[in-house]
Amino acid sequence: MTAAVPSVTLAKDAARAHRNARRRRTAVPYLLLAPALLTFGVFKAYPVVDSLLLSFTTGSGSASHAAGLANYRRLLDDPLFWTALRNTGEILVLQVPLMLGLALLTAVGINSALVRWRTVWRLGVFMPSVTGLVATGVMFAYLLKADDGAVNWLLNAVGLPAVDWLGQPFWARMAVVLVLTWHYTGYNAVIYLAGLQSIPRELYEAAMVDGAGPVRRFTAITVPGLRPVLLFTIVLSTIGTLQLFDEPYVLTGGGPDNATLTVSMYLYQNGFRFFDFGYASAIAYALTLLVSVLGAAQMRLMGERDT
Amino acid sequence: MSHLSRRDLLRTSGAGLLALTAGGALAACGGGSGSGGAGGDAESGTVTVWSWATAAEALRGVVPAFEKDNPGIKVDVQDIGEPAIWDKITVGMAAGGQGLGDVLHIGCDYLPGYLEKFPGGLANLSEFGADAHKDAFAKGLWPVVTGKDGHAYALPWEVNPLGFFYRKDYFDKAGVDPESLATWDDLIAVADRFKAANPGIAMVGLNKAANPSPDLDFLQGLMQLQGAFYFDLQGRITVGSEAAVRALTIIKRLEEAGMIADTPGVQSWPPVMKAGKLAVAAMPAWVAHYLEKKFTDQSGDWRLTKPPAVTPGGKRTALVNSTHLAVAASSPRRRAAWKFVEYALTRTAAVNSMFNAGGVFPALTAAYADPLYSAPSAFYGGQPVLKTFADLATDGGDPTNYSGDYARALKLVSDAQTKVLLKGADPAAVLQDAAKQLAQQTGRTIA
Repeated sequence: MTAAVPSVTLAKDAARAHRNARRRRTAVPYLLLAPALLTFGVFKAYPVVDSLLLSFTTGSGSASHAAGLANYRRLLDDPLFWTALRNTGEILVLQVPLMLGLALLTAVGINSALVRWRTVWRLGVFMPSVTGLVATGVMFAYLLKADDGAVNWLLNAVGLPAVDWLGQPFWARMAVVLVLTWHYTGYNAVIYLAGLQSIPRELYEAAMVDGAGPVRRFTAITVPGLRPVLLFTIVLSTIGTLQLFDEPYVLTGGGPDNATLTVSMYLYQNGFRFFDFGYASAIAYALTLLVSVLGAAQMRLMGERDT
Repeated sequence: MSHLSRRDLLRTSGAGLLALTAGGALAACGGGSGSGGAGGDAESGTVTVWSWATAAEALRGVVPAFEKDNPGIKVDVQDIGEPAIWDKITVGMAAGGQGLGDVLHIGCDYLPGYLEKFPGGLANLSEFGADAHKDAFAKGLWPVVTGKDGHAYALPWEVNPLGFFYRKDYFDKAGVDPESLATWDDLIAVADRFKAANPGIAMVGLNKAANPSPDLDFLQGLMQLQGAFYFDLQGRITVGSEAAVRALTIIKRLEEAGMIADTPGVQSWPPVMKAGKLAVAAMPAWVAHYLEKKFTDQSGDWRLTKPPAVTPGGKRTALVNSTHLAVAASSPRRRAAWKFVEYALTRTAAVNSMFNAGGVFPALTAAYADPLYSAPSAFYGGQPVLKTFADLATDGGDPTNYSGDYARALKLVSDAQTKVLLKGADPAAVLQDAAKQLAQQTGRTIA
């Protein structure tokens, strides 16, 4: 009996130790995940949820109070919101195909067996996408200056009239398209380049044996081969352009006469200029809805069913 | 320079006010009412003063005399920086007054916002007898410092009357004496003659595309000459008023006469003026010193006169902006703080020493009797420019209500002006449209 007591205790201890060890083992992954989860919770999840709640309030300071759907109703009647939406849509429709087309051509060009110093080209093309926002803004503000900018100097040199890039509504929008294209074409080209290199060379060789020309090879092999990559870039570029903020912010401030006012710019103005955080949150959620719907539609239209 | 800070302040008014709401959200979370009622009325101790740049320096100059006359009170003037001071005041108010200075230097574009968003955040100075100084300041300033309850919440310090600076050499060439122009219509009437004599020279410079920020000081001046602004004193919207339409119509006609130069980009008008391409600067008092310092090669070319009236026989004075000293309601030594405010702002000697030190043009009208205001200035061909401004400030202006929605009004009116300047839009149509949008966005009624 006296001998059994310790052995029972021992067995109990062993069981407890085993349980503890198991608990510790299961706890380890959570512990390791904790910093990431915590930062995600504090800096991502909390603001996302809080801004949703914020979108149902109005007023500020000690006068802040619940407003139900008032902000969303106000949004529907706000002409500036619709202007921002239309501007964003127009830039999207023009800029995304233009940029992705250019990126695809650039990628095919760099990938060509005839090109030498491929790394140099690749680096040069990718360079703009690592250029900082402010640097880009300042640089283009100077390049696009109406009276003594380099772009107008070039236009004049080839006999074209100078353009008031940042002072005229239409041209200001084109300036945003230009900068956006300059900034992100290289990024997409590098993604395409990676995609191109994963297409088996045998397909091209077989097609050549069958007598297919370069155009036929491009449409029948390259484009279908790039399909998943194309989908990826189209969805990402669409989302990126819908959230367009940096370029109009540094170049035009949303003007002139709201010609480059995007949804994100308008969101920013409402939040950080007019201190109407409830309304700004409502705009943010309207934009989220739009992004989700468009993204889902693109996946449905272009996505492969079997993956 | 404090006057430069003023300009930046009005330009960037939005950025600073951001914290009003951000701080407000904090207050809501903490359950604090932001009323800051925990203050006290001690008459001694160390009074902390929050100000910025040269204004803070100027205030420091007053401290030794004040401390000598008021044993038991020490004053610590802190240069918080501008626009940082707006965020700090907002956060402090939202925290129920915690960490705020005792005395706060506040501009006319922020004061209504603080009063609206943090009721009870600033001390009621009428309780300390502030109303006795009601008539000591330039006419039109007292309503700015008065809350909805009729009590005073600050004392005026700096005021900027609108002036009409002009290039005498250019107008001489055209055979026009700007002193003889009674209205803006008179000015527009001589535009062709002016242009013929001075090809390539415009009168007014405006950032037509409003890129990167609105350029509405000129339009606001034209409205303030008529005693009008974006809001009336009750806070109703007056963006589409007749006065506003008249102001924007003057701009449209000047543009059509080729008298408005585009001054694009962050640099705005100074480079264009430096190049000698602008003949007029309808700008406030601080510009007098600015022109003198920045455009030394134009010495002797500039003169100053009263701005022309908008309507025949109309007023030729306007106070475009002002700054004030207020006392935080949370201060445990409100009475001591008030003593310093009263000492610094209602004595001519103190006010003028601050004008000399920091270029803060005083709102206290008795100060203008000092000989320094009638001294001739070589840059202006021996003209005593300060006297003109002193006269303008003595005449006073109509009060301007910036309201808590100034930033939003600024954007909508700026859009309207850009439509007129870039697309030749009809001033009445675009302004009434702006008024409607402002009403829709703010819930305010249109007067």
